[in-house]
Amino acid sequence: MPATERPALERILARNLIAATVTPAFVCDGDGVVTFFNEACAQLIGRRFEESGRLTRAEWNEIGPVDERGEPTHGKPAPLTIALREHRPAVGRFRIKTDAGTPQEVEACAVPLIGADGAHGALVTFVPVGAPPA
Amino acid sequence: MRVTLCGTRGSLPTPDADKLRYGGNTSCVLVELAQGRLILDAGSGIRRLGAMVFGAREPVHILLTHLHLDHIMGLLFFAPFFDPAAEVTVWGPRGGLRGLRERLSRYLSAPLSPIEMRELPARVRFSEVPAEPWSLLGAEVTATPVTHRGPTLGYRIVEDGRSLCYLPDHEPALGCDLDATPLEWISGAAVARGVDVLIHDAQYTGDEYSGTIGWGHSTIAQALSYAHRMGAGRLQMFHHDPSHEDALIDRLAEQARERWRERGGQPEQIAFAAEGDSFQV
Repeated sequence: MPATERPALERILARNLIAATVTPAFVCDGDGVVTFFNEACAQLIGRRFEESGRLTRAEWNEIGPVDERGEPTHGKPAPLTIALREHRPAVGRFRIKTDAGTPQEVEACAVPLIGADGAHGALVTFVPVGAPPA
Repeated sequence: MRVTLCGTRGSLPTPDADKLRYGGNTSCVLVELAQGRLILDAGSGIRRLGAMVFGAREPVHILLTHLHLDHIMGLLFFAPFFDPAAEVTVWGPRGGLRGLRERLSRYLSAPLSPIEMRELPARVRFSEVPAEPWSLLGAEVTATPVTHRGPTLGYRIVEDGRSLCYLPDHEPALGCDLDATPLEWISGAAVARGVDVLIHDAQYTGDEYSGTIGWGHSTIAQALSYAHRMGAGRLQMFHHDPSHEDALIDRLAEQARERWRERGGQPEQIAFAAEGDSFQV
């Protein structure tokens, strides 16, 4: 695989980390393309990474943030947007479309992945609001 | 403790004429203890092992490191599964949301298998490994998650003060300087430290690794560094790449022993795992 196509080490390590956890999480590149999401996330959004593969920003925007009717919202920036643009961690609450069809409020935390050679995307974890502790 | 290597190849069985000496069957290791036998992984190498164990009327324990196909593909061809009198326990890693049986059923079910898990005549139990060491056939077994793609375990087996560590799919050098990082922060140290025999992933050459970083495997040089840091008594280089023919492995082995000597070790401490090899720990 050419070096230009190879994911940054930071994203590889982030993928390994979230693959081993049961908190819904995903990793995205600097363009906001979701390059991996874990099993817990798959269960929440109703699609498996093995089947869907990467999700473009447009595809992820269909999932969330959405309003109470499940329509994409364009209000204040989501934590992921802040993390990618401003290279700082961000938290926030918003709704996502789940497998059940009804919008679910989640609390999300986005952490930018900044290596010695620059920014490489972000890691986002999120927990359904009101969910019992794992 | 006696170890027999029933499958030493990584990723894909390679029954090629130029790979017969080191072997073409995928990962499977038999560990014979005073009180019985353990099987590490169920790659294609387990098929011949099954014929040996079949009818022995002893409880069978299979310890899976992870569920990648090359480590479970032999399950369907393991004879004791088809013996109504057999008791088989399959141990494996926790996988988050789904149990071990459910995850294995993805393979042992249609459309990937003509036989469903529930059709197996034997009494089969699926157990996720405990977090703490546990006793199995008189030996102490420790399992710990290690760096590889997906939930993956390394195992340490100790009997009468002798220890074996099995890390067939492992990439401890990912994001980690093996020569400088404190031991407790190196993947697998909990099971590999001070072990008498270490069976470790050594799939790639350095050139090959540049294109496979993050795939979950080690270079031969990384395996040497790892064994050196862990203070392993002997190292079995394992999980040979499907493209590595016998002649190449011979050359790589010679180079590896020289590098080990440069680290102050004895060349005879280094072996490249060959299918059929058997040794005392």
